Amino acid sequence: MSNDVRLPAPFGSLIDRDKTISFRFENKTYQGFAGDNIASALAANNQWLLSRSFKYHRPRGALTMAGQDANTMIQLPSDPNALADRVAISDGLEVMGQNYSGSLNRDSGALLGLVAKFLPVGFYYKAFFKPRGMWERWAPLIRKKAGLGVIDQQFQPEYFDKQYQFYDVAVIGAGPAGLTAALAAAKAGAEVLLVDENPSLGGSLNYSRLDAEGEKARQLRQRLVAEVLASDNITAMSNATCNGWFADNWLPIIRGKRLYKVRAKQTILCVGALEQQAVFHNNDLPGVIMSSAAQRLMHLYGVRPGKTAVIVTGNNDGYAAALDLLDAGVEVKAIVDLREQPEYDAVAKKAASKGLTIKTGHAVFAAHKDRSGLHLGSVEVRKIIRQGVCGDQSETILCDTLCMAVGYTPTYQLVCQGGGQLSYNDNTSMFTLTNCPQNCQIAGSVNSHWLIDDVIADAQRAAIIASNALGLSNETPDQQLDISLQHSPNFSWPIFAHPKGKEFVDFDEDLQIADIINATRDGYEHIQLVKRYSTCGMGPSQGRHSALATARLVAAATNRTVAQTGVTTARPPFSAEHLAHSAGRSFYPARRSSMHYRHLEAGAQMLQAGAWYRPAYYGSAECREACINSEVNNVRTNVGLVDVSTLGGLEVRGPDAAEFLNRFYTFGFLKQAVGRARYALLTNEAGVVIDDGVACRFGEQHYYVTATTGGVDRVYQNMLKWNAQWRLDVDIANVTSAYCGVNIAGPKARDVLRKVCSDIDLSSEAFPYMGVRQGTVAGIAARVIRVGFVGELGYEVHVPQHCGEALWDALIEAGAEQGIKPFGIEAQRVLRLEKGHIIIGQDTDAMSTPAEVQMSWAIARQKPFFVGSRSIQELDKLPAKRSLVGFVVDNLSAPIPLESHLVLNGDRMTGRVTSCHFSPTLNKPVGLAYVEPDKAEVGSRFTIKSSGGVMVDALVVELPFYDPETQRQEL
Amino acid sequence: MSATTVTAALRRSQLYRRHIDLGGHFEQVAESTLVSHYRSVEEERAQVKTLALVDLSALPRIGFKGLGAPDWAAAQGMTLPAQPNRATLQDDGTLIARLSQTELLIASNLSGASTHNAVAMSAVADTTLAERVYSLPRADSHSWLVLCGDLAAETLAKVCGVDLRPHKFANGEVAQTSIAKINGVLIRNDYGDTLAYSIFSDSSSVEFLWDSLLDAMAEFNGAPVGVQALRDC
Repeated sequence: MSNDVRLPAPFGSLIDRDKTISFRFENKTYQGFAGDNIASALAANNQWLLSRSFKYHRPRGALTMAGQDANTMIQLPSDPNALADRVAISDGLEVMGQNYSGSLNRDSGALLGLVAKFLPVGFYYKAFFKPRGMWERWAPLIRKKAGLGVIDQQFQPEYFDKQYQFYDVAVIGAGPAGLTAALAAAKAGAEVLLVDENPSLGGSLNYSRLDAEGEKARQLRQRLVAEVLASDNITAMSNATCNGWFADNWLPIIRGKRLYKVRAKQTILCVGALEQQAVFHNNDLPGVIMSSAAQRLMHLYGVRPGKTAVIVTGNNDGYAAALDLLDAGVEVKAIVDLREQPEYDAVAKKAASKGLTIKTGHAVFAAHKDRSGLHLGSVEVRKIIRQGVCGDQSETILCDTLCMAVGYTPTYQLVCQGGGQLSYNDNTSMFTLTNCPQNCQIAGSVNSHWLIDDVIADAQRAAIIASNALGLSNETPDQQLDISLQHSPNFSWPIFAHPKGKEFVDFDEDLQIADIINATRDGYEHIQLVKRYSTCGMGPSQGRHSALATARLVAAATNRTVAQTGVTTARPPFSAEHLAHSAGRSFYPARRSSMHYRHLEAGAQMLQAGAWYRPAYYGSAECREACINSEVNNVRTNVGLVDVSTLGGLEVRGPDAAEFLNRFYTFGFLKQAVGRARYALLTNEAGVVIDDGVACRFGEQHYYVTATTGGVDRVYQNMLKWNAQWRLDVDIANVTSAYCGVNIAGPKARDVLRKVCSDIDLSSEAFPYMGVRQGTVAGIAARVIRVGFVGELGYEVHVPQHCGEALWDALIEAGAEQGIKPFGIEAQRVLRLEKGHIIIGQDTDAMSTPAEVQMSWAIARQKPFFVGSRSIQELDKLPAKRSLVGFVVDNLSAPIPLESHLVLNGDRMTGRVTSCHFSPTLNKPVGLAYVEPDKAEVGSRFTIKSSGGVMVDALVVELPFYDPETQRQEL
Repeated sequence: MSATTVTAALRRSQLYRRHIDLGGHFEQVAESTLVSHYRSVEEERAQVKTLALVDLSALPRIGFKGLGAPDWAAAQGMTLPAQPNRATLQDDGTLIARLSQTELLIASNLSGASTHNAVAMSAVADTTLAERVYSLPRADSHSWLVLCGDLAAETLAKVCGVDLRPHKFANGEVAQTSIAKINGVLIRNDYGDTLAYSIFSDSSSVEFLWDSLLDAMAEFNGAPVGVQALRDC
């Protein structure tokens, strides 16, 4: 650090001079103090150049020192486009400049500035429009040059999260207005959140000068902040950015790596105003800064902005900055006052009394580089002869700092996001805000109040309105001051064109006065079109410092008032945010059956079905097919156990339970006997198959209905929806998670189950196929259903969820003698395919009708009604368009078709494969496919385009492939 | 009680492996086992005051719904909340939440020997329910976690979009909401002067929810505790 740059206390309120921090910028080590940001620490080392501009690679340095401009965008190791005047330094931090070729100091890209006149606004549109194909040739080069910063492709995601918060009042901005409003609302009894994006509460009171002595701001801040911190009703958040305003005062507030999702009943936006730059030749040189930036450097960071300064001002704030500079030992060479006859306040009078050179009615016509070419060296001052025009006589003043104090725009973004309207007041040359959203107030300088007493009164007025709305007070708020009559800090036209251009209106995009005017001359007169055509306001700072000047220039160029011209739409986010803030902590709910760890212990490869984890097969991934085939064989010849806990379970109970199912599913249920299960096929109103399951009647008024793993939630919702119309006397409950279950299947299933189930007669006579019983299995209350999904003797055993592991253990132990083995979902798919059973969602799609999938047998046509019956009746009258058929592939050397492989008729696509697998039982590939109706006859042949484009011949066969007499499952 | 004993029980919390990994000491409750404590009870008593997570999934609980459910429950001597989304503590510590006009959740006291719960369970077993009273197997459909301590509300604010701060969400209030993207019934049910929220949510997702809550608790130094610390509140 340079000792002659750091100022003694009380300058530097944010820094801790006892804590030195080393960091690196452009591979050189620098030191700063704790509390410094990168820009202030570099400035303390006389390093003002931070990055290069987007288009012309012009040298850029700090402009606002408030994190509001793109000049300070720098590269951090894993974070491009970080703001040097926002990011605090830390030990070992590696910082680089951005957007240069060669080195930051000697950027060959800056040569582009020499040909700027050949790169007019709309250059891309004009230059690459013709001939056809031109753009494709140029695009790679342009895209390589465009963009800022470098993405770290090795970046590992970091932990970001979110938190909900609720307040009566959220006050955004903790300057004098925000502090006052928060205190007033808190005193009325409101719970208040006070948010400020800066490290220290107080806003402009931290650095601005309210009185000649320079004491008032500090004293006021001390008092207000002390009261805020002492208030139990106020939660103060500094370093926190309210990044948007959404309906009903939903406020995303970002602090660190957390996004606070704040809901406030009332919001008071005290977000202040943004100081604007004067527009003149080379107004972007490092060393040309806002007056408020100079004051921030001195008061917050104890950094002297330079040795010799000139101030260009259109208000009295420039004089306040001059006094601060003098206090900091800066030689103030001149105050260039744009006003012909300024009206001084006490502060300005004191500055004027210091014997400074004051040039009223003058402007800075141009800034010039110093010998390094990277910093301000002098300014050229000229007399203003009319709006925006200077005389020919120049006076050059050597200086290394130029402070600009020519006016402000309200920080309108959040208000406008809520529907607020930004208008221009020609009397005050200011933007003003009206039409604030409901339950949202604005106060302070964002509401065009500039004198501290007015600001305080305005904040109290807003707090009273908010408190009244909350029912906490019943005061009559003061009438709002007439903004049009207010003292205005804005000079009407601080814009001075130069024959050589380079008077920047938009620093982000290197847009000059001529660019804006030329956009209107090209026919883009509307402000929104000017934005799109010129890209003005589309850069990282989103028009914070270009909107006002652009509106003025467009208004003048199109012979309208600024009020008529307006500004472009402000949308969230207010400032750049990490995508990780929106993502937050990742919540991916996972559902596991109570037998989950038994599967893992048995070596299962798990797959996800929705949120559920299910065992695909048991064994290593390298021998997947062998494992699946082995599991299939064990079920066919022996006994296997599969976890079916993920199947949906629905209780349908009540006097009308049977009638309800009769209307809901396609089959008939009125005559279903207690103790019996019945297949339940579900169609929607369009007659499309959407789910299936088994309806088990455990009592006259009690059905337990299963549904598919992925479909149960929809089935449950549909049941509730339909019964809301039918008003049947029935209760429906989703008990999917309440029960877990297994299917013990295979010719030896009964032998195994018998060992652990003594209170149910498992004989075929007493407990036939599609019978249901309640009893105990391994001492656990169980619902036992004889099903045949896999085509073998099988029992589904459903028990309370928390008993699942005990059930699994008991069956594995009981079946050890019979060689029981678990089988996974993949084997189950093969087994059911061999049996010709479809899987809803795999073998059906959004158009599948029962007839197409050969399920007409599951429709009770004599019923008066079921959901989808009318559509099915009509569909049945139409010629079939396709049919789901079973097929085999006899050529064992052909690649086995996979799901979704196309069925072709010549070169015409006529269908697709829905399921196909090598059948270890039949020793050949078997599958299901949609084919044209004339190919659906048994014995027909069709062609499948299999892997690698190989055409595979398939033969249509009768379903099922296995056990056509259905003897196995009825053992 | 050892880990072996845990697996000897027919009913097991799906979190039991985590409890074993954390060094949990188990006790027999009803048909299952419950973590009595992981560390010393004194330590856990202190932990409960700041931020702790307890798995009560092994404790009995049941639900009833249907037009006849409120009258039936009242006839069994249960005191029901007058309006939905409120919970009432019975004399024996049983918690009864009214989830809608016609739906009740009955959760045992911490001993697992709740009279009201036992009455309800036996009613289901004997199928002596009245007309239009339907039981719901809440002991299996829903896990039961308790998040307690002064920082419980702030922790929940990271995973739940309801304002659960103690002065906004009174003891006995019920929120049927999403917690870490899991649907659940959340009941403020203080133990003594210890702020506590009972969370009943899909039992198959309990490991996910347990991990999510511990993750949210980490910044506040929250930790799991056993049921004993809760009993001592």
